[in-house]
Amino acid sequence: MGVRLLILAVLSVVLMVVDARFDTFKPVRSQLGLVLTPFYWLADLPVRAWEGMTSQISSRSELLAENEKLKAEALLLQRRLQKLAALTEQNVRLRELLNSAALVDEQVLVGELIGVDPNPFTHRILIDKGSRDGVTLGQPVLDARGLMGQVVEVMPYTARVLLLTDTTHSIPVQINRNGLRAIAVGTGNPERLELRHVADTADIKEGDLLVSSGLGQRFPAGYPVAVVKEVIHDSGQPFAVVRAVPTAALNRSRYLLLVFSDPRSAEQRAADSAEAQEQADRAAAEQAQPSTSGTQP
Amino acid sequence: MMAAPAPRGGWLIMLTLLLALLLSVAPMPAFMDIGRPLWLALFLSFWVLSVPHRLGLTTAWLFGLAEDVLYGSLLGQNALILCLVCAMVLGLQQRLRVFPQWQQALVLLVIFGLAQLLQLWLQALAGNRPPTLEFMLPALVSALLWPWVQGGLRSLQRRFQVN
Repeated sequence: MGVRLLILAVLSVVLMVVDARFDTFKPVRSQLGLVLTPFYWLADLPVRAWEGMTSQISSRSELLAENEKLKAEALLLQRRLQKLAALTEQNVRLRELLNSAALVDEQVLVGELIGVDPNPFTHRILIDKGSRDGVTLGQPVLDARGLMGQVVEVMPYTARVLLLTDTTHSIPVQINRNGLRAIAVGTGNPERLELRHVADTADIKEGDLLVSSGLGQRFPAGYPVAVVKEVIHDSGQPFAVVRAVPTAALNRSRYLLLVFSDPRSAEQRAADSAEAQEQADRAAAEQAQPSTSGTQP
Repeated sequence: MMAAPAPRGGWLIMLTLLLALLLSVAPMPAFMDIGRPLWLALFLSFWVLSVPHRLGLTTAWLFGLAEDVLYGSLLGQNALILCLVCAMVLGLQQRLRVFPQWQQALVLLVIFGLAQLLQLWLQALAGNRPPTLEFMLPALVSALLWPWVQGGLRSLQRRFQVN
């Protein structure tokens, strides 16, 4: 028994070191994950069954009320969308004036939460989209209200997402109001992020919206991340203590969005957008031609 | 030497261990999540105690590996821990078998506590450290659950005559 224990212990330690330092086991892990996926499905079955049952027996009046609410919400969103269309148009025009790269609309994929990490000290979730759906390592994940986290492990049909509030996660943000940059670090509390190294005199106050700055090259810029909850100035500390609440419902959202940002390199993107710009100019010129010829007989 | 009766009920052992694996990832309310029992360690301890010739360290190691994959922790982390739990139970087996149930639970509390401590160290090495002493709660909950786990599994063992 002693020998076997020794062998297995050494094997475990070797596995751990290799797993922590190298990528050798990524494919093995992903295949094992594929085999073990039914476990998550089974474990989640009661929750699914319960949801199915409540949706079966929810009463007509409840459905009507929900329908009303959704209609009202749709109306509100449509109004906002109208405004957004005008703003987008304006944005594109201004960007053209600045000769900068065209705004790329990111593609998204809707995923569903199928498991939560059983360890309460790590904030990770499992989603039902994997490498077969094109999910990649490091991909940003959002819900309807803001950024949630990033993909840290990809299996064929599932993927693991590290949430913003995990103690090992940080995200570069900026304040929407004035563009002040900072790093938001997870605290292990699902309702709190902390901004590191913010000067005591920095212009930041309660209620400020923090958006992703896109500086880490991992998250797309401009998505809401958190709202500043309190700013504590302690003269004994070199930096102000800034606490923020994530805007995404990190421990409640069941449906989430996977963002596919542009995989092209910066140069290629610039070249492509220049080409697109040229084409647009040409199209515009061609469109303008007949009208001018029409007015000048 | 007496001819040992043909081994029976291996499927039941596997089934209960798979059930333990399932329980260890089953969704739970957040306030209970912090004290999630170490199901796999509990079930393995029972089988190792009652039929030590049927399964041992290798089984524990393999199930630990499966748990690692399910949890997304370092490969080998839970494998090592479960292996050590099994080794400790096997080492104390002669004494544990004659102990009354509450005394068994006490010894298991210490073993599970050591396992959680090792878990803490390994997680700290991976850069993930829980901030409080709450990580000891699963050991306590597991030890408290021991009489029920033992009772339930023993009745199953008798019903299906696992030997």
